[in-house]
Amino acid sequence: MPTRRTLLVGAAAVAAAPALAACGEQAGAARTTRQAPRSPGRRVDLVFWTWVPLQKAVALWNRTHPDIHVTVQTVPANTSGGYQKMHSSLKAGDPPDLAQVEYYALPEFMLVSGLTDLTAYGADKLKGSYVDWQWQQGVFAGRTYALPQASGPMGFFYRADLFERWDVEVPRTWDAFRTAAAQIRKRSGGASRISAFPPANAQWFASFPWQRGAHWVRTEGDTWIVDLASPESLEVADFWDGLVRDGLILPTQDAQSAFFKALQTGQMAGWPGAQWYDALIRGNAPGTKGKWRVAELPQWERGAHASANWGGSATAILQGTRHPAEALRFAHWLNTDPDSIELLVEAGYGWPAAELDLADSPLGEPSDFFGGQAYNEVFQISDRNVDTTWRFGPTTTQSYAHIQDNIGRVVAGHGTIRDALKDAETKFVDDLKAKGLKARSAR
Amino acid sequence: MTTTTSGGKRTPAPPASAATRRRARPDRKAWRFLAPFLAVYVFAMILPILYALYQSLLRVERSGPLGLGEPSVGFAGLDNYALALQQTAFLEGFGRVLLFGAVQVPVMLLLALTLALLLDQVSDRWASLMRAAYFLPYGIPGVIATLLWGFLYVPGISPINDLLGDMGLQPDFLGYDNVLWSLANIVVWEFAGYNMLVIVAQLKSIPQELYEAARIDGAGPWQTALRIKIPLIRPALVLTCVFSIIGTLQLFAEPLVLKKLAPAVTTDFTPNLSAYFDAFANANVYLAAAKSVLLAVVAMVLSFGFLSLVGRGRKGGDR
Repeated sequence: MPTRRTLLVGAAAVAAAPALAACGEQAGAARTTRQAPRSPGRRVDLVFWTWVPLQKAVALWNRTHPDIHVTVQTVPANTSGGYQKMHSSLKAGDPPDLAQVEYYALPEFMLVSGLTDLTAYGADKLKGSYVDWQWQQGVFAGRTYALPQASGPMGFFYRADLFERWDVEVPRTWDAFRTAAAQIRKRSGGASRISAFPPANAQWFASFPWQRGAHWVRTEGDTWIVDLASPESLEVADFWDGLVRDGLILPTQDAQSAFFKALQTGQMAGWPGAQWYDALIRGNAPGTKGKWRVAELPQWERGAHASANWGGSATAILQGTRHPAEALRFAHWLNTDPDSIELLVEAGYGWPAAELDLADSPLGEPSDFFGGQAYNEVFQISDRNVDTTWRFGPTTTQSYAHIQDNIGRVVAGHGTIRDALKDAETKFVDDLKAKGLKARSAR
Repeated sequence: MTTTTSGGKRTPAPPASAATRRRARPDRKAWRFLAPFLAVYVFAMILPILYALYQSLLRVERSGPLGLGEPSVGFAGLDNYALALQQTAFLEGFGRVLLFGAVQVPVMLLLALTLALLLDQVSDRWASLMRAAYFLPYGIPGVIATLLWGFLYVPGISPINDLLGDMGLQPDFLGYDNVLWSLANIVVWEFAGYNMLVIVAQLKSIPQELYEAARIDGAGPWQTALRIKIPLIRPALVLTCVFSIIGTLQLFAEPLVLKKLAPAVTTDFTPNLSAYFDAFANANVYLAAAKSVLLAVVAMVLSFGFLSLVGRGRKGGDR
């Protein structure tokens, strides 16, 4: 029978536990990567967290590589819960071996030491198989931390039938885009708009300043420089401010039911989106088959081909795995093997990070959904014209959320995008400083 | 051991010490019965709170090129609290939930009280059926409830929007000025039935004689409700009110789910949401811990403040 004293001693021990645990308080991942010895004949099991539908490619790997078995566990896409889960698992010391991490989020995972240094496992030999700028997304301080999977060069998806019906020219410049926007609204009797404007998608919005030549984040020495309010950025902001103010766009969040309904009903006659939106349109508006076409993104200077990238992700090997070498082998196969790429393209995973010849790939074939257009030729031009000097800081999730919160308010009729960016710049710098980093505003 | 000493002391002991002795013995037994609960309580409540308090005093220190080198954890003092209190968006979140609570809690409790009183009047057969029907929303997880309501709010999908659209109205349930009240509607729908049940339980415990006496004294249904029932179910009302205050401050799942549909639900929409994004999206658990502690302190102040307020009111009434 416990006396009061034993109870008190017990309570004291219990109370001391957090103090003891604190000694082991880790700033980053709670467990570091270590290669477990392979016993011959023993199967290695890898766990892969992703939201990209790449189950078929993984099934092919499992069939052809009986010694290394990969289990796909579907997690919510990026900040809808996927990254949250990954960060908690790193903190808890129980991460999956592999994870889908977008290019913009790689610096954030670096900041918590969440990625395995793959250079130590011979990743640099694989560099030649990938598009260089995509490969560089996973390189920090000269060492490789992730293998690129796919990117999202921007283009302009549009409904050829609607543009024809209302006698609207497909815009080649942003000026023409505005003219076309007004025509579509007028000639559809107010029922249709040239595009949606997602109030809370800073990644989408960023692609326009990116195309204009802005650089939201850069580094100088060991200081992060935030530049949301450069003249290029503000020119783009003013342009969209005008469209929002005049009601020429549909203020609907993308990739949501209302957005898909607008795609189905023709309420949206177009959409400046990334290449991987092809699968989303195909899958969510199957009734519009044959009516879509793709053009290059409208330009700021007539005849130019400036472009930008939206999205794109890497296969990362998280800190704490016991099978980094096997995971690296799988990741490289997944992203470069022709059979795997074919299955991934079918699933609509984006623009391959692997060097490939469009003519030899199913990507280069004419598509019935796009009225027989070999639409990926447009995205190839776009891909080659992406300004690859754009960088992401290590607080993108949080800092882009400020931009989103601000732009959302603009769409609801409060303020301008110009002021939204200026305000977010201050918060962006504060985010970086709160992480213990050196940061300042560019101007 | 206790028996011998108490036996020796029995005759000279004054009544007061006899009382304490009588209490002392069951105490020890009670502790043994309480032990399993306390063990879990300490493990699942006290320890995490202490750990959060401790974490809120830490911060990550970075070095190396652009801070991407090996990070280490250092003592931050109250810096995290200062940082949290400097974030206007975080403080606005408190304002938002307080406004939410000031409107939603009275509306919900009034609804729950009205339903409970009405159910008390109808015949037993119908009462149980209706009680179950009103209680049903509580059985639906908040996430599912929000998804359901979300579809009723999204323009282009919602039949409510279509219907109101036909009448020439253009409601924007998810807009900046409305989303808080759309959220309040979901919470009322979820919890009114639950609170009703708590009130009903207390109503059932009122002795029938009181009603008979009231009837003999000539009280109608209105007077019975106002003069007999409501004063007697006061503890249930206080309880539901405290639960609702705490629940309001901790608003989380509903806005998180609605966020996907409504950009107006910002990352700092409620204090809990803000702490969540700091901890998991922004990987800054130390700042999140500080925010959680601040939230707990506010919840405690409000709950105990409310309790002492009604407590004082009652004492005054008794005299």
